[in-house]
Amino acid sequence: MSSTELEHLIKMINQIADNIAIGESDDVATAKLADHLKRFWARSMKEQIFNYANSDGEKLQPVAKKALTLLQSE
Amino acid sequence: MIQFFDPRQSGNPHQLLDVEKDYGTPPTCAEDAASTSLVSLTIDGQPVMVPAGTSIMRAAAALDINIPKLCATDSLQAFGSCRICLVEIEGRKGFPASCTALAEEGLVVRTQTEKVARLRRNVMELTISDHPLDCLTCPANGDCELQNAAGEVGLRDVRYGFDGENHLNAKKDCSHAYFTFDPGRCIVCSRCVRACAEVQGTYALTIDGRGFDSRVAAGQDEDFMDSECVACGACVQACPTATLMENSVIDLGLPEHSVLTTCAYCGVGCAFKAELKGDRIVRMVPFKGGQANRGHSCVKGRFAFGYTTHRDRVIRPMIRDTIDEPWRQVSWDEAVSFAASRIRAIQQQYGRESVGGITSSRCTNEETYLVQKLVRAAFGNNNVDTCARVCHSPTGYGLKTTLGESAGTQTFDSVEKADVIMVIGANPTDAHPVFASRLKRRLTQGASLIVADPRRIDLVNSPHVSSDYHLNLLPGTNVALINALSHVIVTEGLEAKEFIASRCEQEAFEHWRSFISKEHNSPDIMAPVTGISAEKIRDAARLFAQAKNGAIYYGLGVTEHSQGSSMVMGIANLAMLTGNIGREGVGVNPLRGQNNVQGSCDMGSFPHELPGYRHVSDESVRGLFEQAWGVKIDHEPGMRIPNMFDAAITGSFKGLYCQGEDIAQSDPNTHHVEEALRSLECLIVQDIFLNETAKYAHVFLPGASFLEKDGTFTNAERRISPVRKIMPPLSGKADWEGTMALSNALGYAMDYSHPAEIMDEIAELTPTFSGVSYQLLQETGSLQWPCNEASPHGTPIMHVDEFVRGKGFFAITEYVATDEKVNKKYPLLLTTGRILSQYNAGTQTRRTENISWHAEDVLEIHPFDAEERGVKDGDRVQVSSRAGATVLRADITDRVQAGVIYTTFHHPETGVNVITTENSDWATNCPEYKVTAVQVSKVTGVSDWQSKRELFSEQQIAFMGTADS
Ligand code: SF4
Ligand code: SF4
Ligand code: SF4
Ligand code: FES
Repeated sequence: MSSTELEHLIKMINQIADNIAIGESDDVATAKLADHLKRFWARSMKEQIFNYANSDGEKLQPVAKKALTLLQSE
Repeated sequence: MIQFFDPRQSGNPHQLLDVEKDYGTPPTCAEDAASTSLVSLTIDGQPVMVPAGTSIMRAAAALDINIPKLCATDSLQAFGSCRICLVEIEGRKGFPASCTALAEEGLVVRTQTEKVARLRRNVMELTISDHPLDCLTCPANGDCELQNAAGEVGLRDVRYGFDGENHLNAKKDCSHAYFTFDPGRCIVCSRCVRACAEVQGTYALTIDGRGFDSRVAAGQDEDFMDSECVACGACVQACPTATLMENSVIDLGLPEHSVLTTCAYCGVGCAFKAELKGDRIVRMVPFKGGQANRGHSCVKGRFAFGYTTHRDRVIRPMIRDTIDEPWRQVSWDEAVSFAASRIRAIQQQYGRESVGGITSSRCTNEETYLVQKLVRAAFGNNNVDTCARVCHSPTGYGLKTTLGESAGTQTFDSVEKADVIMVIGANPTDAHPVFASRLKRRLTQGASLIVADPRRIDLVNSPHVSSDYHLNLLPGTNVALINALSHVIVTEGLEAKEFIASRCEQEAFEHWRSFISKEHNSPDIMAPVTGISAEKIRDAARLFAQAKNGAIYYGLGVTEHSQGSSMVMGIANLAMLTGNIGREGVGVNPLRGQNNVQGSCDMGSFPHELPGYRHVSDESVRGLFEQAWGVKIDHEPGMRIPNMFDAAITGSFKGLYCQGEDIAQSDPNTHHVEEALRSLECLIVQDIFLNETAKYAHVFLPGASFLEKDGTFTNAERRISPVRKIMPPLSGKADWEGTMALSNALGYAMDYSHPAEIMDEIAELTPTFSGVSYQLLQETGSLQWPCNEASPHGTPIMHVDEFVRGKGFFAITEYVATDEKVNKKYPLLLTTGRILSQYNAGTQTRRTENISWHAEDVLEIHPFDAEERGVKDGDRVQVSSRAGATVLRADITDRVQAGVIYTTFHHPETGVNVITTENSDWATNCPEYKVTAVQVSKVTGVSDWQSKRELFSEQQIAFMGTADS
């Protein structure tokens, strides 16, 4: 897997988290982030970030990790 | 009695009785239409009733009594200087000029008496005695108001002779690219001077001297080309004689018929009469009945159409196996079957999602609709995106979230009612010139202006116009500023409480109020972040909050940031907070860059939305399309352009169909884009020129210019305007026909015989368009969507009684600083923009005489930063960022603040996007074009990238040259 593509996805998800999570409770932030990914991310992008979250996930912000867990459980 | 219901009565000041007729003076401009009283008078025995304040000339014209005139025309305020329009009024002494004399109750006016006739002949005689009588060879022959007036007054001889002192040999000014000034023909009516002031707002012309010596002068008595003239052409249009005349008319003679169409440049969407001889354009004249432009235009729309027949047009389809080999010219059939077989082979090998398409904001709605249909139906995925990704995608996201609809709320007319106008991150005089003229006119009537822009744009300070506050913030701190403005309003209790209580979601508002009131959003804390003093922020906030009508206009300086979407929401918050939504004079107005950005977004060009902004996961909507199109539609969103590029580099995305967009030049981080394009196995480009992107293509489908097809464009006001075919497509196919051919070759049948049928399909499937048809457009001229059962003639102002989403939503917009920060290595911030004479990637305007105003992109740099680097005006400097470097010439100016540099992006050789980075808006991935940390240094040569590009470009052009063999 190309590192640039994944790097971009990680950057994107963390940036979204930065912008919608501030000042929100954990649950709300998680739900908002999950919803954003569901609505805007392509299937292949979601798959890649899931894989990363499941295998390593170190660079993901906590709320991003939670959102990805939530999404995968749906 | 004829009741002359002057425009104001129907509530629309611009609705003329007959747009083709010149009524001599403009309609009265009573502020409040309803309270204007009517007066009745008699003209030549006929009774007429007109609104008080109407001139006698206009009242007479309404009765089709046409009083001769020279200095009057209904696009300008009456001036009363030529005295040819004299009339007699019963019981009054003297002969008043009917253009300046107002209609009064009970007047009895006579326009044709012997005395009047004699006086008029005298006036005419004097004028003619200083005018060359070479009518038969004059370029205005047949279209000259002086000729007409001489005929009307029955002038038969000139007693003074032509031997006295005259101006007949005055020197012509041929300096201008598009028109000639021949002062020997000037009758000093000053219409040009007034057009430049009143219509355009540039004040480039004056009448120099007095009496016999008076004459028209441009600038400080310079050539037109060297003066402040911005080449809008308003003076040429206003001139009653051949003194100011389009060069094209001098060369070709007068046109014989005309076709109404819409400008294909910017998002103002000006209506034009294309005046033709056969299928050759003689001139473009802005249409007085045009609802977006009201008879005005800029240099691009009026003059820069030469590119459509430029020798660089590629008009035959071409194919090749790899980009390292010459092109082969082939038939349309061969080209599309080659393209289709490649796409299918790629999908076989790499899967259904390995291909995608990009729709164009320059093409028509119908064409854009077809491209996204092709992607969803024939490619079988949602990998469709549009160039709006890189400009206004945050507008879509932000306005949909807060107000419920992804579009601006107003008409352009609305600015005439605004009291405080806030312009944020937009440069209307350059990018939306016709709107800028209307804005300036409102400012000269007394409206206040707040400009938020890092750079001192022209509006901040130009003749007769200046901003009350110029908030010259640091690039990247928009959200900090908008939050601080709202903070002041909330903490000082200046918000529109009633509006908020009745129109907005209470819970969300309370939540937002507690967020915005926090100390960290205060002007004092945000002052050092934005670089603007707390005092100035407070004053500007108060001014805006207390306006009767406050209107916000914004551009790409808002959207093209890492927090572009937050800023759009912040703007919507501010408008709701101050109750400035839902009526004339207010609103949130995105100024759209390209002619059809709004339309391409409306037409389902985003990977997550079907036409009408409906999410692909919505089963019922999908069902509708599935039934109409006879295919299954994927319920998952597709990839955006930057994701496509990433996937191309990874190797999972292999084929792209790109219509009318030059992604290689206009997308950020050129190195990255080029790498992605090189990785594709099938790139299909449909364009009118071999643009930068086409140099990486395997299939080239020749595009059609806006003159070669029927269709519609949708401007920034949501106004759908017709584009009409003037000549047959040079390549044999309009773009929609090309897309159809490709789709059919892919095995997905498309069969339309005219774009009207495509519009019918759009109307059937899209609730906001359900009332739109070519028939209705023909009748009304244009329509603002939503146009449906609820508003059969469209919707000029949105969110009037309630928001599209029901209650307005205050979104939390926390300021998050961009990652793009200055440091030791890259201590300056680069921001980008465009200029009047050029249009975006410049593909079109560089191929017209507009090049005389902007031959290259230059780098604006503050004297302080320049001195520190030993840079002098005109030096070649290298600008480098972590993404790349390029070289251009320095222009030392204090328009930019110290620490900030600025350039335009109109020339591929400069390649500004070599420097811009992959940073983007958090919600939409709209690139952060407006902030890049850079260093500037003096150099002699060009950058590595530039020399490589030149070689590559030369080679690709050579490949085309051998296409015939
Ligand atoms: S072309 Fe426009 S800007 Fe130039 S002098 Fe005429 S009216 Fe003024
Ligand atoms: S140039 Fe034309 S419009 Fe201007 S004063 Fe002379 S005749 Fe009138
Ligand atoms: S470029 Fe824009 S302002 Fe100029 S004529 Fe065209 S639509 Fe109007
Ligand atoms: S037209 Fe009335 S004074 Fe010139």
